[in-house]
Amino acid sequence: MPRTLSRRNAGKYTGLSLLGAAASGWLPGIAAQAAQSESKTHRNCILLWMSGGPSQIETFDPKEGHENGGPTKAIDTSVPGVQISENLPQTARVMDRLAVIRSMSTKEGDHSRATYFMHTGYLPQGPIRYPTVGSFLSKELLDEECDLPAFVSVNPFQAFSPAAYGPGFLGPARSPLVVASQMTGQAEDTQQVSFEVSNLKRSKRVTRAQADARLKLLSSLEHDFLKLRPGGPGRSHVQSYQQAIRMMESGAVDAFNLDGEDDMLRDAYGRNPFGQGCLLARRLIETGVSFVEVNLSSADGAGGGAGWDTHQDNFGAVNALCGVLDPAYATLISDLQQRGLLDETLVVWMGEFGRTPKINDNTGRDHWPRSWSTVLAGAGIKMGQTYGSTSDDGTEVTNDPMTVQNLMATVCRALDLDHEMTNYSNVGRPVPLADHGSAPVQLLLS
Amino acid sequence: MRYVLLTVIIVVAGDRPATAGPPRDAAAAIDRLFQAAWDREEVTPAVPAQDAEYFRRLYLDLAGRIPAVSEIRDLLADESTDKRLRVVDKLLDSPASVRHFTTSLRNAFIPQANSQPQFRALIPGFEAWLWQRISEGQPYNQIVHDIITTELNVSAGPALLSTTSPDAFFVVRELKPENLASGTARAFLGVRLDCAQCHDHPFDRWSQRQFWNMAAFYSGFTRSADDDADNPVMMQNMTEKTDVRSIGIPGTEDVVPAVYLTGLEPDWEDGSTTPRQKLANWVVDSENPYFAKMAVNRLWAQFFGRGIVDPVDDFSENNPASHPEVLDLLAEEFINSDYDVKHIVKVITATDVYQLSSIQTHASQEESSHFARATLRGLTPEQFFDSTAEAVGYYQPYRSDNPFVVDMNSPRAQFLDLFRNNVESPLERETTILQALAMMNGNFIDNATSVDDSQTLRAIAEFPAMSDEQKLDTLFLSVLSRRPSKAERRRFGDYLLSGGASENPKSALADVFWVLLNSSEFLLNH
Repeated sequence: MPRTLSRRNAGKYTGLSLLGAAASGWLPGIAAQAAQSESKTHRNCILLWMSGGPSQIETFDPKEGHENGGPTKAIDTSVPGVQISENLPQTARVMDRLAVIRSMSTKEGDHSRATYFMHTGYLPQGPIRYPTVGSFLSKELLDEECDLPAFVSVNPFQAFSPAAYGPGFLGPARSPLVVASQMTGQAEDTQQVSFEVSNLKRSKRVTRAQADARLKLLSSLEHDFLKLRPGGPGRSHVQSYQQAIRMMESGAVDAFNLDGEDDMLRDAYGRNPFGQGCLLARRLIETGVSFVEVNLSSADGAGGGAGWDTHQDNFGAVNALCGVLDPAYATLISDLQQRGLLDETLVVWMGEFGRTPKINDNTGRDHWPRSWSTVLAGAGIKMGQTYGSTSDDGTEVTNDPMTVQNLMATVCRALDLDHEMTNYSNVGRPVPLADHGSAPVQLLLS
Repeated sequence: MRYVLLTVIIVVAGDRPATAGPPRDAAAAIDRLFQAAWDREEVTPAVPAQDAEYFRRLYLDLAGRIPAVSEIRDLLADESTDKRLRVVDKLLDSPASVRHFTTSLRNAFIPQANSQPQFRALIPGFEAWLWQRISEGQPYNQIVHDIITTELNVSAGPALLSTTSPDAFFVVRELKPENLASGTARAFLGVRLDCAQCHDHPFDRWSQRQFWNMAAFYSGFTRSADDDADNPVMMQNMTEKTDVRSIGIPGTEDVVPAVYLTGLEPDWEDGSTTPRQKLANWVVDSENPYFAKMAVNRLWAQFFGRGIVDPVDDFSENNPASHPEVLDLLAEEFINSDYDVKHIVKVITATDVYQLSSIQTHASQEESSHFARATLRGLTPEQFFDSTAEAVGYYQPYRSDNPFVVDMNSPRAQFLDLFRNNVESPLERETTILQALAMMNGNFIDNATSVDDSQTLRAIAEFPAMSDEQKLDTLFLSVLSRRPSKAERRRFGDYLLSGGASENPKSALADVFWVLLNSSEFLLNH
């Protein structure tokens, strides 16, 4: 299996010309010129999003010995002195490559606001449409040579806050390609998770010459219509067609096909949508995609529902979810490392908030933004540590509280970006990547 | 019982003039208000839309689809001066229009059925109920009143899924008082209470207490502990106590009484009505400051892509109306017409402001809140599919046993899934890469644009007496609802004449058809 999947030097696409896509995409002469692209100097990011608000006590901040800890035991990790929950044994072994932040603290206990806050770094307010982290980071990190969109979102669960997943004022060019997993195969025990992007191939009834001619006519029609009618919807339409055409003609779409991967590796990630989604994320990064978000919100690894929202039967549910999370996360870290990709890939693990230390009447835990955990690994991160701590009963942050804004600033710095760099918002005001007054946490950075 | 309530409502509204004047009077008043605003803000409006532009927009906004080829041909040829208004009347009486309004209200009242798969199956029953009421011409206040006070046979279990009733309003909110309070406030009053559920609203004036005052009206439900939490549609053993008048705020010791959002307290001495009935009466009352405004704002948004208050259901001090006098005028018209939706539609479509072109001629037209130009806006998935079906001549099999059954594998269902958009506003509609791929290469469009498989194409290709020019005209009229311009005649005409890339006249027609169907002009409303 080659280390880097093929990339095509597909040239630049400007303005409304769809013909640009056709010319460099199909004419054989130019195709033969597919030069080896210079290696990308930008870093990449993978966001593992746990929708519903995962319990910190049952994952990265166990409280064995206290009644709030419930039945969850703590286990040793590959970092002496650091223990995490027994639900994550494989992750415990790669702890030396992780930085666990136990002191996340916000005031947002509402799924919608908290999901938006964690995804954009800003609270939803007024008219400004803040872009999701995948959009604003991929804009800075993007690899012009890559024929795939710079931002891919795998099985997102958007119901809590659709706005939290969109490009906001950065516009449609920064929208993610949303990929959903499907189960292929007939019998249940031989079903495979697959991530095919449908409709990538031109119909067999249409010749190449016809396709070119069609795009040329379409270009002219779009140009005439839209030059008199400015507006987002028109721009978005042309943009998406340009990106779609580029994808169609690119070998890069092989990244979505997991069949070439070693069976044992596929098993190690876990034969479920989340596990295979993490494997897909690695492949996409190798192909030149800059930001991949993979969602885990149910115990079969699928995207529907808010499985981590364990108001009842917290222990059983989290255990089941961790059964999916643990192998996938640990394998992803190891796999990236073995391929020499971990140094240039930041892996972020988080949800929208944590869960109440005090167990409720339904053996559940409710929303708890006051003291919870997120985890960083890879590019730019000083690994093998915990940052911040909580009290024995889990209700207070005792050291080094971490704000969302500082987390965002730290993520930017880890990716070699200036967190104060600004974009122009839809009301004209410049908006920095991480909110004003935020600062990266030096202790977390290598 | 219902009779008594109806009389009560009419009596309360009795001190207002009971009838509204002719639509053109209100339309003219609205136009005057806009002109004054434009003068004040130095805005230059766009020119009036030409017929083709206007009729396409009107059909989409009223009937939820583009006009058929024969319809647009006739309209463009019609020389009468009142044709635009006559078409409005004709469309308002059509089944397509009933369907479009049904879908629109269903999206507003049970949005959860779109975003949460477990509730999808409730759509047919809810739509069937709405359809009945709308086609019978039931006034809007009555419809809303009946939703809030519905008898609720949720314990019918699976049978619920094909019952014609408004019960879905309650089921998608899982009978939870907090969800019902939010839903009632948002859908019927345009007030987004949600944040106030857990704490005083951070930037609006609603307190947590007020939130739960509203929730108290819905606090009589109890569900059995056996209920399957994963399957909230199946409710067994649901009971409702109608004497509950207060609710405890979760996480606190407080118990608050049922009080209307405006602070008015219900008259509990009138023991003949249940809390839900009391709430319904207050919601639709002509003195309710939100009800009529929310309804007309939503109607306005249906025709303009955004309301006078935008987002359409977010009336708040931080989100003022762009033209409050217009909103007031329409709300008053609505009440005076006895909440007749058709009347408001006639008013809106008779205004000059609705009939402006989408072609921008001045920078001041760019800001959507000026309403100085018709905007580029997205179609709903239903509008898009139905228009595509119309353009390509695809007719869906009609199930007579239950016309509302959703066949998840039908082309329509698949299209709707793919084109369902998460963006709130039609003005911000985005085409995704997956949608672009489906339009370019997907089976449906491929079949529709293949000379062998497409009825429409074959009919045009093989029609004996049609010249190339007429064939081009028919293609443009079928898809874009207009004739080609001179430049387009040259460009596309030459292509057809040459037989196109495959040197085959039929393929060339297919190519042109494909191009038109993939254009933003077709995908968008404008």
